Amino acid sequence: MPPLLARTDHTQSTATLVAARSVSERLKHGLNGPGSRGAARHLRHLLGARGLALADLSGQPIWSGRPAEHADTAPLLEAVLRGEASRGTPPLQAAPLHAGDDLAGVLLVHGDVSARAVREAALLVARALESGRLEASAERAAQAEFRALRAEISPHFVYNALTVIASLVRSDPDRAQELMLDFADYTRYSLARHGDYTTVSEEFHAIETYLALQRALLGDRLRVQVRVAPEVLGVAVPYLVLQPLVENAVRHGVEPGGGPGLVQVSGEAEGNDCVIGVEDDGPGMPPELAREVLSGGREDSDAVGLANVDRRLRHVYGPWYGLVVETEEGAGTRVVVRVPRFQPGVLP
Amino acid sequence: MVAFAALVPLLLATLAIGLRGVAAMRTTSDFLVASRRVSPLLNSAAVSGEYLSAASFLGVAGLMLKDGAGALWYPVGFAAGYLAMLVLVAAPMRRSGALTVPDFAEARLGSPWLRRLGAVVVLVVAGLYLVPQLRTAGLVLSAVSPTPYWVGVVIAGAVVATALALGGMRAATYVQAFQFCLKLVLFIVPALWLLALAGPDVRAQAVEPGEYTRFERDTSVSFRTGAVLRVEEPVVITERDGTRWKAAVGEHRVGAGRTLVFEEGGRVPSVLGSAPPGGPDWHRPLLATVGDGYPLLSTLSVLTATVLGTMGLPHVIMRFHTSPDGRSARRTAAITVALLGVFYLFPGVYGALARVLVPHLYLSGATDTAVVALPAQVDQGWQGTVLTALLTAGAFAAFLATSMGLLLVVAGAVAHDLLPGGLRRLRAAVLGAAAVAVPPALFAAGIDAGILVTWGFTVAASTFCPLLVLGIGWRRLTPAGALAGVAAGLAASSGAIAVALFGPDVPGWAGVLVAQPAPWTVPLAFAVMVAVSLAGRPPAWARTAVLRLHLDDDHRGPSLR
Repeated sequence: MPPLLARTDHTQSTATLVAARSVSERLKHGLNGPGSRGAARHLRHLLGARGLALADLSGQPIWSGRPAEHADTAPLLEAVLRGEASRGTPPLQAAPLHAGDDLAGVLLVHGDVSARAVREAALLVARALESGRLEASAERAAQAEFRALRAEISPHFVYNALTVIASLVRSDPDRAQELMLDFADYTRYSLARHGDYTTVSEEFHAIETYLALQRALLGDRLRVQVRVAPEVLGVAVPYLVLQPLVENAVRHGVEPGGGPGLVQVSGEAEGNDCVIGVEDDGPGMPPELAREVLSGGREDSDAVGLANVDRRLRHVYGPWYGLVVETEEGAGTRVVVRVPRFQPGVLP
Repeated sequence: MVAFAALVPLLLATLAIGLRGVAAMRTTSDFLVASRRVSPLLNSAAVSGEYLSAASFLGVAGLMLKDGAGALWYPVGFAAGYLAMLVLVAAPMRRSGALTVPDFAEARLGSPWLRRLGAVVVLVVAGLYLVPQLRTAGLVLSAVSPTPYWVGVVIAGAVVATALALGGMRAATYVQAFQFCLKLVLFIVPALWLLALAGPDVRAQAVEPGEYTRFERDTSVSFRTGAVLRVEEPVVITERDGTRWKAAVGEHRVGAGRTLVFEEGGRVPSVLGSAPPGGPDWHRPLLATVGDGYPLLSTLSVLTATVLGTMGLPHVIMRFHTSPDGRSARRTAAITVALLGVFYLFPGVYGALARVLVPHLYLSGATDTAVVALPAQVDQGWQGTVLTALLTAGAFAAFLATSMGLLLVVAGAVAHDLLPGGLRRLRAAVLGAAAVAVPPALFAAGIDAGILVTWGFTVAASTFCPLLVLGIGWRRLTPAGALAGVAAGLAASSGAIAVALFGPDVPGWAGVLVAQPAPWTVPLAFAVMVAVSLAGRPPAWARTAVLRLHLDDDHRGPSLR
């Protein structure tokens, strides 16, 4: 059984743990990030050194405490960067910092510190740098996934639209041409723009194009009511979050019934949020099914669209801001998107 | 009672809008052109609708009756604030995409602490703005009907909170624009009608008012709040129950809720803390906030606060988010100056008429009700009743539009920045904010709406003005500098206001600077912000962030549209 720590030792070890954690947190953005000076300071207190420096591959040390006055540190740094091995003896030692397999920088310690302590400190810093790199690459992966999700939607629509137009080419060539131009407009919007975000106003424009194509197919069966408050027209949202919802409402609310169906789209401000609702008066579905669709448990193509929008919204705005589906068998379906009217970093 | 009847359609309309939601753009058969933009004219009407509060509708005329023609500097400042906004912040703020100033602070400087501090400033400014709205609503209700002041305030608070909680949280551009037209008509038409009704004698007197020294007829004064009258010549007073007594020379304390009738020909007693209207100082085209000294300093103080404070008003800046881009935001601000300019031509008319017809209001401290008290003096018949009803409805519309906007902003700051949570918290915050705002309004009966509102402007000018101006125009601003500057400005301005409210009387020019602290708190906030920023290093992305604010909307990256 380990001996119980005395009270003073206890606080001291806590302080050590805190310092170690804070060093790794500050180094999250790399050796030349904003936290490196603070990390050097904490590390110096941890080692009890007179001075301590972190240098990146350029060989520019960031000092905390008193730099080594007499010795010239530049040759030592140079030697460590070339040799990738520890150099120097107390009071001035240098150890290489390896993040993963690559050399990332050098740790310089000035003062009466044992070589072992310097080695351990270098390992701590290296581990922190490595975890920072991992975090950054995880972030990049999430970004890539986000972009991929955006591209995943378009094929549904492309297929549907082309089917609609094809059905008109013989019977009404003029109309087909008009629709083809609408379709061209739409693809320009969804494919050619750079950046991840657009405005509510542009999204509504995209819906318009989509509904124009759908009305060509469904004729008078499709009735549409759109109400948008001007306050939300300028709000930034991810690309193509509304079109899949409207598509869903048309396909499940209007198409199966045989009779006329009403699709209502509304957008308004509610406090600091923008609330967009897409509602149909179709057959609805059991709430359990809606839950399953949102959780991505169903593999058919329409379900993928809703779950996809839900995931993208949560990815951008956080867990509060997913899709809300209000539905019951025979009672229609209402899908609500709620996004903050302003979110840092989300700009069209 | 007829005035009450005029309120009913207004309240019903407000509640209906709240319940129904706002059908802003709607098309039932075909599709709307969603990319259709909101025109700057419509948007600026909405800005003006939200901005014209009870302080503008009633307060300015009341201050003019009390302090003289110099009070017309208040509307000058209220309107000129949009010039400062137009030049300095409108377009960059819109380009940042930020909805509120705390949003802007986070987007530009990336500091969550600054966001929280900003939310606190929003609460202070909105509080200082909300209390006079409730107070004025209470005063108006008690002036046109036999309700006590506190009932009026509670009713006003309940109406606003209910309308919001029932669904009025949609910040509705069309409704606000309609409200502006309504207020404009309800303010201008009665003014011209009253001028026509009053007759040539009154009009001549209004231009050349004499000092109010003697009661020209038996004058009934209702004291809604307690007052101390200094009687300089014995005057005969009739109580409501018919008892007559002669007030001796000296100071008399009149309790709240009493109604006294002063006999014709008696010398008008003076009120502690204000001079009788119409004296030589009354004509002076400068303001006097404390006693009658330092009018130039007072005027400049008020102008500094109102001109620089407008850009920081939380419920106004939100409206600019509706503009599609920076250029139309700027155009909106420009048109707003013109629209407000038209409205502010008329408080002077009411003030001048009130000086001739209802000067006794200053005895009871109810000068803010001068506008609604006027018609009854001009005409006792149906015309007077109709005019009172119109003006009451207009005042209530002004009160409702502004207080709903303010409550929503307060709730947003609490539910969004301070204690983030879902929609339920937003609703709770609305009710909570209304409940918190009512008690101070009960105690603020003695402070003019114009003064309280100007304090709101002062705090905004000392905190958000430097933050916005430096955040937009100066690359070297650091989060620490912004935090220190906003904190210094908030502490200095609210401290000075607290001293003015609760502290000892400060004599001389120092007193002016305590009652209207903007001339020193604004430079102080700027100086602290610059000094602390120079000591630190700006974040690496500062250059990009500032450039983005100034990049014209047409030149923003490749676009096929």
